[in-house]
Amino acid sequence: MIDRSSAPLAAKKALFQIPQTEKFSLENGIEVYFTHKNNLPIVYLSAVTSAGSKFDSPDKVGTAYLTSLLIDEGAGEFNSLQLSNEFEKLGSMFHVSANQDNIGFSLLTLAENFERSLYLLGSVLTKPRFEQPDFDREKKKVQDKLLQLKDESGYIASSVFEKLVFRNTYYEFPEIGLAETVNQISNEDVKNFYRNGFSGNATKFFIAGNLDPEELRKTLNAQIGSWVSSSASELAFNYPQRSQTQYYIVDKKESAQSEIRIGHISKKRNVPDFYATRIMNSILGGQFSSRINLNLREDKGFTYGAGSNFNYYANAGLFEVQTAVNLQSTAAAVKEIFKELNGIRSGITEKEIEFAKSYLIKQYPSRFETFSQIAKNVESLVIHSLPLDELKVYEEKLYSVTYEEVRQSALENIFPDEMFVVICGEKENVAKQLKDELGVDAIELTHEGNLITM
Amino acid sequence: MTEKSILNLQYEKYKLGNGLEVILYQDNSLPSIAVNIWYRVGSANEVKSKTGFAHLFEHMMFQGSENIPKEGHFRYIQEAGGNLNGSTSIDRTNYYETLPSNYLELALWLESDRMGFMLPGLTQEKLDNQKDVVMNERRQRYENQPYGLSWEILFSNLFPEGHPYSWPTIGWMEDIAKFELDDVRNFFKTYYVPNNATLVVGGNFETASTKDLVEKYFGGIQAGNSIPEIVVEKQTLNESKKVVHKDNVQLPRIYLAWHTDKAFSADDAVLDILSEVLSSGKSSRFYKSLVIEKQIAQDVSSFQYSARLAGSFIVASTAKPGVELDTIKEVIFERIHDLIQNGIKEEELLRSKNSVISSFVYSLQKLDTITDQMNHYNFYLGEPNSFSSDLARYESVTGEEVISTAKKYLLNPFVELHIIPNTKEND
Repeated sequence: MIDRSSAPLAAKKALFQIPQTEKFSLENGIEVYFTHKNNLPIVYLSAVTSAGSKFDSPDKVGTAYLTSLLIDEGAGEFNSLQLSNEFEKLGSMFHVSANQDNIGFSLLTLAENFERSLYLLGSVLTKPRFEQPDFDREKKKVQDKLLQLKDESGYIASSVFEKLVFRNTYYEFPEIGLAETVNQISNEDVKNFYRNGFSGNATKFFIAGNLDPEELRKTLNAQIGSWVSSSASELAFNYPQRSQTQYYIVDKKESAQSEIRIGHISKKRNVPDFYATRIMNSILGGQFSSRINLNLREDKGFTYGAGSNFNYYANAGLFEVQTAVNLQSTAAAVKEIFKELNGIRSGITEKEIEFAKSYLIKQYPSRFETFSQIAKNVESLVIHSLPLDELKVYEEKLYSVTYEEVRQSALENIFPDEMFVVICGEKENVAKQLKDELGVDAIELTHEGNLITM
Repeated sequence: MTEKSILNLQYEKYKLGNGLEVILYQDNSLPSIAVNIWYRVGSANEVKSKTGFAHLFEHMMFQGSENIPKEGHFRYIQEAGGNLNGSTSIDRTNYYETLPSNYLELALWLESDRMGFMLPGLTQEKLDNQKDVVMNERRQRYENQPYGLSWEILFSNLFPEGHPYSWPTIGWMEDIAKFELDDVRNFFKTYYVPNNATLVVGGNFETASTKDLVEKYFGGIQAGNSIPEIVVEKQTLNESKKVVHKDNVQLPRIYLAWHTDKAFSADDAVLDILSEVLSSGKSSRFYKSLVIEKQIAQDVSSFQYSARLAGSFIVASTAKPGVELDTIKEVIFERIHDLIQNGIKEEELLRSKNSVISSFVYSLQKLDTITDQMNHYNFYLGEPNSFSSDLARYESVTGEEVISTAKKYLLNPFVELHIIPNTKEND
């Protein structure tokens, strides 16, 4: 019989090299970040344009999102159907998405079809058609999507929570917009948004693939090298302040669960205590074996899963705990979450810190497996104005964080007395639980996060 | 094309004395290993009024065993920098972890401990906790999701009562609440035996020493009895059925479901291509007509859902506000008849095939996808390296086959499900 009573020791660690990324500029100044990867005949390309929903005018929120839907509805010599047909014929997967900061274009293609796919992408970026029938159809689709989102408790809880955290800033709106603002958007608005926001130097390219860099530079110059650059616009951001903890309920009848969001504004990505905070959050709620998940799921059975994370926007950060729990356990779950938020400030053991460091450091090589992972690792650094070197020093920086710095991070980044608590679910039942079990009065908000007026 | 050689994966397959199948696939390009085990048991092995058990059991497998404490499985693998999970389908249950390659032995220790020594770690408290977790999983993923119950309504109508595909994988709520420790013990002794499992090890390892380790950890586990066979008759519907279900949704949605044929049967790949032609991409038949031209639907999808015992073809489409589901149904059938009468264009076929070919190459990027796919092929075909022959099934599909297959299945009786808003003033 073999001895099974203790875990076998690790063997000798295999070597791993972070892939080398090179940066170059096209004739018109467009920045390109290229990482060579040759184990498969695949190319992944991401183009990111600084034209997210933060540039929407407040009465027409949703313009960036609509632009992202329309920009590939016909471009250059192709109408909408022809264009999507061209991508599909190549087996290339092309997708446009929008968030608060950027509109992103992603392309996954076989290397042999890269040049043709890039030609199509170039047309989308520089020669979109914005035809009226396409606009009318896509706008109606967004309006109906907004209707459908009324069904989604998770979406409602998150968008109301973000509105509270980012109140009176350009991050307070969902990128898809609101029913009354989308109604106001015309095709002319979309064309103007494109004209103002899209230019060579507002766009950066991140590419991973089995390509020769010199060939790549030539191909890119031929397809998009003449795209005109203009002076980039930047918007000022007024950092919101935290405020005393307040509870909010959004009513959703016949909900089988309550969706809970708890959190507040936090620091940007490029601050010195990022690594300590990563370790601290990993212990608090950043992975399966975290305090919050083990308590709410594995001990209490309130939920299928619970966690916390720091989300990083270009100009701000947001800390949130999120979970969905069965209705009867709503107040009890909120109470346990606060117990953990206070607990992380009052003590973290060395064992917990060693576990989190080990987890984060040793899993690092697995974040370089696919072509898109490699390109996106670089992209996220550039978006947050960090040097490329950061990828190489990541493990070292995590390793050198001290116990004291992790404990300090909890004190400087988690503020249990200054939380927004948002619960989307059965109003009467949840309000009564909060009152009876926690002694708090919750404020009711609409699905859009506005006060209910009598 | 170069994909022919890329899709030919070298492997070694053998059996231990206790019947455990082992497949070794070496790829030293990354410092990682993937361990992927399939147990040949899914919700189809359950019986009426004990549904959801295979899935609940998957949760119990993370609750520890003789030498591993509760949640220990997660902790050990995460501390080593790995990631892990498991999943249950109607046919099988899988468990998998990807780790830095120097932790191969850790993964084998963990997987073998729960294969051989799970019962000593079992307690009533752990079972009660996971029943609560699974009931919350059911609420979160199905009951509190718009249209979330449509799948189980569809399948409980498409298959007769008592058919192993007639209940949802997660099970009926009242069944989950009733499970007892003895059910867990019996299920484990019947299905979680080495002769009912296949272990795939993929990635960066040395073959001879890995074989020794596999023998060391799994070789001593006792074989179980032979596994009970599931016997079912081929299903057909004598007449179409219509079901209407009210839900918390703003827009009504229609589902149509036909019986087709099982996974890797002669018509299986043709039905996949048919679904591509009908609903994949803006120029596909259904999408172009319903969403672009007539603008009566918000979305439309279709797919061949095939498994070991049976297959079905599903179409789903969400109506625009004010549009009747019958109008959408009419257009769907109009498009099906048009395809059958007028055939399909070479370009449509080429488009569908090219997206399938590319997706095969894209899927080779991740080690855990490859090892799971090898188990998938081994389970259905007995041959883990079936990437090329699987792709060939799609490449050989002709336009005539697409038409004759559509005719063979989509003109038969079907189940029609309408999910409609339960109140008009739902805010």
